[in-house]
Amino acid sequence: MPSDTAAVTAQLAPSAGKVSWGWVNPWTIGTAVIAGLAILPIAAIVWIALAPGDGIWAHLVSTVLPSYIFNTLVLMLGVGAGTILIGVASAWLVSTCRFPMQNIFEWAMLLPLAMPAYVIAYIYTGIFEFAGPVQEMLRDWFGWTSKRDYWFPEIRSLGGAISMMTLVLYPYVYLLSRAAFMEQSVGVLEASRVLGRGPWRSFFSVAFPLARPAVVIGVSLVMMETLNDFGTVDFFGVSTFTLGIYDVWLNMNNVTGAAQLALTLLIFVMILVLAERFARAKKRYYVSSAKYQPLPRYQLHGARMWLSVAVCATPVLLGFVLPVAVLGVYASAHLDQFTSTDMLRFAGNSILLSTLAAALAVVIGTFMAYGLRLRSEKLLKIIVRIASLGYAVPGSVLAVGVLVTLGAIDNSIDGSMRRTFGISTGLLLSGTIVAVTYGYLVRFLALSFGGVEASLAKITPNMDGAAKSLGHGPLSTLRRVHIPMMKGGLLTAAILVFVDAMKELPLTVILRPFDFHTMATIVHEFASDEQIGEAAPAALAIVAFGILPVILLSMAIRRSRPGHSQG
Amino acid sequence: MEGLHIHGAAHAYGGNQVLTKISMVVPGGELVCLLGPSGCGKSTLLRLAAGLEVLQEGTIVIDDVTVATKELHVPPEQRRIGLMFQDYALFPHLNVIDNVSFGLIGMAKRKARAIARERLDQVDLADLTEAFPHMLSGGMQQRVALARALAPEPKLLLLDEPFSGLDTNMRASIRQMTLNVLKESGVATLMVTHDPEEAMFMADRIKILGHGGKILQSGDSHEIYYHPNNEFVARLFGFMNTIKGIVQNSMVQTPFGPVPANGFADGEAAQVLIRPEGILLAAGADNGGVPVEVNSTHLLGHFSVASLKIASDRNGAQEFYVRVHKEFLPELEGRITARVDPEQSFVFADDGTAPGEPMMDDLNILSPELKTLLSTGLEIADKDGKTAEAAE
Repeated sequence: MPSDTAAVTAQLAPSAGKVSWGWVNPWTIGTAVIAGLAILPIAAIVWIALAPGDGIWAHLVSTVLPSYIFNTLVLMLGVGAGTILIGVASAWLVSTCRFPMQNIFEWAMLLPLAMPAYVIAYIYTGIFEFAGPVQEMLRDWFGWTSKRDYWFPEIRSLGGAISMMTLVLYPYVYLLSRAAFMEQSVGVLEASRVLGRGPWRSFFSVAFPLARPAVVIGVSLVMMETLNDFGTVDFFGVSTFTLGIYDVWLNMNNVTGAAQLALTLLIFVMILVLAERFARAKKRYYVSSAKYQPLPRYQLHGARMWLSVAVCATPVLLGFVLPVAVLGVYASAHLDQFTSTDMLRFAGNSILLSTLAAALAVVIGTFMAYGLRLRSEKLLKIIVRIASLGYAVPGSVLAVGVLVTLGAIDNSIDGSMRRTFGISTGLLLSGTIVAVTYGYLVRFLALSFGGVEASLAKITPNMDGAAKSLGHGPLSTLRRVHIPMMKGGLLTAAILVFVDAMKELPLTVILRPFDFHTMATIVHEFASDEQIGEAAPAALAIVAFGILPVILLSMAIRRSRPGHSQG
Repeated sequence: MEGLHIHGAAHAYGGNQVLTKISMVVPGGELVCLLGPSGCGKSTLLRLAAGLEVLQEGTIVIDDVTVATKELHVPPEQRRIGLMFQDYALFPHLNVIDNVSFGLIGMAKRKARAIARERLDQVDLADLTEAFPHMLSGGMQQRVALARALAPEPKLLLLDEPFSGLDTNMRASIRQMTLNVLKESGVATLMVTHDPEEAMFMADRIKILGHGGKILQSGDSHEIYYHPNNEFVARLFGFMNTIKGIVQNSMVQTPFGPVPANGFADGEAAQVLIRPEGILLAAGADNGGVPVEVNSTHLLGHFSVASLKIASDRNGAQEFYVRVHKEFLPELEGRITARVDPEQSFVFADDGTAPGEPMMDDLNILSPELKTLLSTGLEIADKDGKTAEAAE
């Protein structure tokens, strides 16, 4: 291993210890190459979109673009407002008040995180559509016979999409604002009380402004997920950017047009990323004191108490309990599905792809984070930051970028093979699971990299120094010191990537090999054919896997505040 | 009745009694200091007065208004008090002037800002109104917190360890400034500290709070320092040479001679506590003392610390620690006599718990904070030499 040799050489000749490896360091070069590969799909989109060619930009602008922008904006604002309302209110109640079941809500509020928006969309469509139980019941009660007799909100609409996404995405805001409320110095709230402001006014003049950066981070993440969503808007027929890209790509067969739409969408994404970064920078100043005291809790009584229970219970019931129950009922009618060879194959595909993505993401994330720790060159830092922006890029955009990139690679291989050997290799990578895995990696790299980086940061640099002084090179130090110390963090990162990859829909739909299905795509396909019952077993399985990160998160919260666990 | 009146306040967390039937008064315009080791419930008393804790027993009255009884709890925002937190609790999202005018509710913004500016001027921060807390030094933050607490003209000001976050160089000047501002405003003030020097510097009246939340003694600095009425109070000011003995003829025998033990019955076990500065050294036998041998001396700046043994004491070998105000002259060694200053030595009953020998190991059983308190004058020179000042 080159790095070990380097260390040994340095050891043999102590005077050579100061030789700077600079960029000619395997870690640095490796990190730069990986980062480059992660940036490539996005760069490809920019390249294609801006290149003069058979673009249909003018056509798009005059026809669909305005409605894409309008729908996307309304969707983002609606989901943003909804998640702030639910997330902040429940976080505040759970963190500062005492009411029945409050300690259950502490973690139960996170449960909807396990529910992909597209699954909940299929379920509520089943419940609220014309032939569904709710409208049937209303017709029975009031003696209506046809659609013309009454008005009922159409679930398959923009408003419906906003509701669905709000129900499953609010946990991001809840999680971040709860953490913010918990790390606020109790003294600051008490100071506000002593200076004459009651609990409500203190919330609006102190607690909420202090939590605002955290809320902004949460909402940015929510909106990124909103932009990423494909299943819901596709099912509801709400023409947003994501759907537009898919449409222009597959139905109009126009690469440039899709790339141009993708690039426009990236502008939205950039705004979100900047908002998030800005909020993170600001957040550092808002932690006023390291002095933790158990938070004082207001005991609620009577109407206020029940109102608090309702505020917390409603999103959990609607976002998790009810959908799971409905899925359970559907699935019990299709029990044979669980053991059918098709379903087992799809599950196998899902597990294969998710495992591949999780393992690679953690290995690569570790490599990058460690490379950065060894030599934090400024340029390298910037490249790594850009490379980990994949989480913000909607799956559909990334998919187009990956297809373009791999297509170019395939073509150049094919071309050179044809010239030299006269044989055509065709498409080697496009439409294979390599393509899907590549897409997953670009999208989820930030998840693993961030996790590893955080775990590494907890290890004092003196550990590196100690290992170095005892004669271990970087690789051997990583293997024998860092990895054992951050095993838990690595496992968490792997689980997060695994579950996200399992839920992933747009990337998988576009990049998968022909006739290849994962559980997510089969759920989508069944549901699109209105066979929600057949989709239930696979959907239930996805939700079951989705609970893993919820457990991890609630455990992490519990640990982060040791003094609080007994309270 | 201006000021704060606490009557029979008791408080327990779970089964743990932190305050036991406390009664005390902070008269208008006076500064009263609660002095005690950490965990003695002094902060709890402050939080009860502020309304941040609900009173379990007793009565609290501020300026003739009953704010807390077992049944009544006036919320903190209606008590019109100022509270300065140990960590200052400045609002990180507001700049200095907005922090200071935060408590000026229902006032036109322009007027509130004018008042805040006045307060900031008083603490020499008039030119930092637009700065945010994270840009300020600890001393500046402390002054902003003081200005913020005083701006709404509270009826009572509560200070929780107001100087503990400051480094020693800054502490003296900030303390002086704070005292000036408080005297100028004439507000009744209750301050909590574990630092005896701070209490002696600031307070008109000191109340010593012992473990279990009982007031052990109250009085001005002079009374507390020169007439401690129990062992705990005496030891609060630092290390004590301890000699155990049995009272005979109303006297306790010590190697330095008999010490009067008034109020003790013959045959009672007693202990004599002598401050390190209470052992007076002289060259030759002319001060009526006993000859001593000096084991070691350390120059610690304003003063020196020496450890010594009684010359005639061949086998006992009890070491005594002495603080003198000059560098110890080596040529005096061997011809030194020591006597005890009656003002700096105290006789208390020996209940068997206090250390008989001045061994540092014995201090380990005490809380870390109390340990530093007990050893301040002795081990190492205190960072700011504060015990030296306290002794002067």
